[in-house]
Amino acid sequence: MAFRQENTQRTQRTTTTRRRTGFAGARDQTQCRFCRGSIKYIDYKDIDTLQKLLTNRGKIYSRKRSGNCAGCQRKAKTAIKRARFMALLPYST
Amino acid sequence: MAAKRLYEGMFLVDSALATADWEGTLAVVENILKRADAEVVAIRKWGERKLAYDIARKTRGTYILAYFKAEGPRITGIEKDVLLSEKIMRVLILGTEKRPPEMIEADIKGLPRVEPVEGPPEADDSDRRRDRRDTGRNYEPSGGRYAGDGAER
Repeated sequence: MAFRQENTQRTQRTTTTRRRTGFAGARDQTQCRFCRGSIKYIDYKDIDTLQKLLTNRGKIYSRKRSGNCAGCQRKAKTAIKRARFMALLPYST
Repeated sequence: MAAKRLYEGMFLVDSALATADWEGTLAVVENILKRADAEVVAIRKWGERKLAYDIARKTRGTYILAYFKAEGPRITGIEKDVLLSEKIMRVLILGTEKRPPEMIEADIKGLPRVEPVEGPPEADDSDRRRDRRDTGRNYEPSGGRYAGDGAER
């Protein structure tokens, strides 16, 4: 009985430490990068910002990866596609 | 008679042509806008850069940014004129209703954008899903983002 209690305590301790190390950074950012800067409009000419939302192959990062909210991801998508049409960003590399 | 609205137009011309005859290139754009009875608010060179992909075997392009007031139905006329023009490669005309006015002003003056720009999501590429044809033979684990324009692979 005593052995079992000790064992559960040990497992609890390990899970809490794991959670703290894994999600410390992610928990701080509750809003997406555009909402945090209160940016209303994502411009297609702003290539430096849009470049950060692309893979090195030129694909758009998923929402999970970029951390954007649904609305901002949609705005970013339109902006990237406009920039691609104007040859500011690649369709693929 | 539709009311005139403010539009933003970006014209892409060949760099060689723009450097050789800048006044002439600007005149071509202005002439197209004039044909659509557009009131030019501002017109300026936005930049000269390497294209992300070749257009008509050209690798460099000069972008001309114009703000003009025109009637909505006449925009298609501008786009058709650009298609017929041999000097202008691409055009993108957007309405400006959704844009904040201070952003438009900064664009007209050509001010550098001062926005809180943050870093990329993560630099590591460990959980990268490979592209279908990427066999991994030439895979270089370099950063999580595109290496910039003009990086030959």
